[in-house]
Amino acid sequence: MSEPRISEPHVLDQPWRVWATVTVLAIVIIGVILGVVVIPVVQGRSAGIDAYTAICRALGILPGSPAEPQPFDRTPSTPVSQVTWTPEVLQILARADPERGRAKVAEVCVACHGEQGVAVVPEVPNLAGQSGAAIYKQLHDYRTDSRTHPQMSVIAKALEDAQIADVAAYYAGQPKRNPDPATLAESPAAIVRLVELGDPARNIPPCAACHRPGAGGPIEAPILSEQDRDYLIAQLKMYASGERRNDVYGRMRTIAARLTPAEIAGLARYYRAGFK
Amino acid sequence: MRNVERLCLAHFWVAFGAFLAAAVLGTWQMWVRSPLGADVGTPGQYFMSVTAHGVAMGYVLTTFFIMGFGYFVAVTALARPLPGKAWAWFAFWMSIVGVIMTTVPIATGSASVLFTFYPPLTGSPWFYIGLVLVVVGSWIWCVLMIVAMAAWKRENAGRPVPLAMFGTVANAIMWLWTTVGVAAELLFQVIPAALGLTQTIDVGLARTLFSWTLHAIVYFWLLPAYIAFYTMAPRAAGGRLYSDTMGRLTFILFLIYSLPVGMHHLLMDPEHGNGTKFIQVLLTAFVSAPTLLTIFTITASLEIAGRLRGGRGLFGWIAALPWDRPMVLAVGLSFVMLGFGGFGGLINMGYGMNAMIHNTSWVTAHFHLIFGGSVVIMYFAIAYEIWPRLTGRGYTSLAPLRAQLWLWFIGMMVMTLPWHWLGLQGQWRRVANFNYADPIIAGWGPWVIVSFVAGLVLLASALLFVRNLLVLHLSPQAAIARPLYALAVHPPQRVPAALNGFALWNVLVLIVMALAYGYPIAQFAIAPSPSAIVHRIE
Repeated sequence: MSEPRISEPHVLDQPWRVWATVTVLAIVIIGVILGVVVIPVVQGRSAGIDAYTAICRALGILPGSPAEPQPFDRTPSTPVSQVTWTPEVLQILARADPERGRAKVAEVCVACHGEQGVAVVPEVPNLAGQSGAAIYKQLHDYRTDSRTHPQMSVIAKALEDAQIADVAAYYAGQPKRNPDPATLAESPAAIVRLVELGDPARNIPPCAACHRPGAGGPIEAPILSEQDRDYLIAQLKMYASGERRNDVYGRMRTIAARLTPAEIAGLARYYRAGFK
Repeated sequence: MRNVERLCLAHFWVAFGAFLAAAVLGTWQMWVRSPLGADVGTPGQYFMSVTAHGVAMGYVLTTFFIMGFGYFVAVTALARPLPGKAWAWFAFWMSIVGVIMTTVPIATGSASVLFTFYPPLTGSPWFYIGLVLVVVGSWIWCVLMIVAMAAWKRENAGRPVPLAMFGTVANAIMWLWTTVGVAAELLFQVIPAALGLTQTIDVGLARTLFSWTLHAIVYFWLLPAYIAFYTMAPRAAGGRLYSDTMGRLTFILFLIYSLPVGMHHLLMDPEHGNGTKFIQVLLTAFVSAPTLLTIFTITASLEIAGRLRGGRGLFGWIAALPWDRPMVLAVGLSFVMLGFGGFGGLINMGYGMNAMIHNTSWVTAHFHLIFGGSVVIMYFAIAYEIWPRLTGRGYTSLAPLRAQLWLWFIGMMVMTLPWHWLGLQGQWRRVANFNYADPIIAGWGPWVIVSFVAGLVLLASALLFVRNLLVLHLSPQAAIARPLYALAVHPPQRVPAALNGFALWNVLVLIVMALAYGYPIAQFAIAPSPSAIVHRIE
């Protein structure tokens, strides 16, 4: 093949280097001028925002959109629970000592909840293998009167934050009991459906969306399997009536109020058994 | 050479095996979401399926196909042995181990986090570590592609790199840039969280890093289709490539404008200023430049072929094209889907319009039409084109190949057009089921059923595709040797170094990325935002 010597590649290349750089950078600079200066300043003027603030907002240095001043809600909120899952609280949970927890359990909890978290008194929840965060939240709520119970409120108020975390860690570390195979197969299809799919027509989400065999739901959601039947019925009824109200966003109050008594009984029986 | 053919076939069969499994899952998902499947499956199973479908289609099919295709191009376009063949096999097996490590937690339900990495939801650490292995395997591929091109340039000083290899290396370099974002997110944020080493995670930073990867990854998947447009389609149609320079420019423009644009996926996110979003949306608009260049150049190339075949008049050349050849047919169908999908993408890109369809079925429809449609149909065409070379066997009939391409086209159009429509009506994406008893939602039902039926058509096409390739392995007919890559109308003799390598463009990408992502990422270190609690799936 003939080789027409037009010019050397590096001579050809110089205009490419210059023009490619100029073009690409020009596009970026136009973007910066329009997006960070012109548009925010012009839009900010009609929203009563000075040019400097508008540019800082466009850059993301100050919060807020350049177009609209953000409305501010000054209504004080009334939290249903004093527990917030801050890194500090998570640190308390992470640093909890199950051995210290065991000592405390032997002292105060064992009479009703059992040494290994298997309830010895009817209508008392099983705590073996329960989520530590769930136990922590409930004890903390008893302390702050977000949830009340004749005995538990008194007991919890005598405990400190770190002790609550220790007890939670101890019970969370206990092995879960084996589900009873006799009751496992018993649940009617409608109840299984409620657990797995919920009922969209009544705006009831599936129980399993939050209450899972392990973690995965909202951090404070308790594990329900192998739970005491009467305890679950009592709690759902209290949620439905609004007597118990320490559920964040009112989730359980909303759901429980939509359940029929038969469904409440069916669900309690389902969770008595455990997971398939 | 036989070893290289085995290498390519191994990659392709892993890719297409994953593709077939994912096609089954995709159809099942359509059924579950439709009124017909109201009682089928649980949300848990649905999200497990979506995760598997997305991982198989988005990461396994693409990565393995692109690696196999790259090795094929390196050997055929450069006409020299592949350097580092042992490394290529090592990368293959490492990626296979990665895929297995990823699949097991998905199958046990401990990684139903979908295929996007949006904390605080985190799955099993094995899921992420497996995907990291796949990415590292693809990095080895990138290095091998760059080494192969560099070796060729040393042996052929001053000559232009063949366009197919130039495009492949553009893609490899783009992929190296692209994966920096998600690699940083996984290694420094998500995997420590999944392992339980950290209890909180900065969600804004994670989303920003993922956006770095999120848009360019789509161009990584897309470029093989463009390589086929430029180098295979004109030859298959019996013509010549209209302009070699346009091809080089296109690949370079994709390298530059795929990266600093990812924030248009975060238009509704609060962690960035509107000015930053504006800059990246403006740069996104420039992605249309290589797309339009390509449509012009390939149409011109096909027109040359049509007129050489005796086509007359303004449109007569279109009818004169050899539409019976799978590659030509696939290019035509791909362009139609690229057109619809491209216009849909303009809506996603605009701040105001995006607000209307954000997180609706519109988005799902857009990426299925662009990727699942116009890109994957070119994967089929490429496979059909090169399979005879890999196996040494020829097709006894092209009819099943054409039927498969048509089924895929019809299925994808009929599935995604209703999704666009439903997205406009507000049908949200990534939910397991709909309450069709609700009077507002009831009207969606028929359209969802239509797209489910289209899903069945797509499944039929996927099965036919794998059947076509398997049949070829057993074909009694020997392959007819013919040139694969198109010549340009004016074959390049000398090109400027800028169009023959990537040094200049890497510097420009670095500058533009520093401008586009510098402060948006630095702000998380300057003024750390409140972190979210890691939400682990067990």
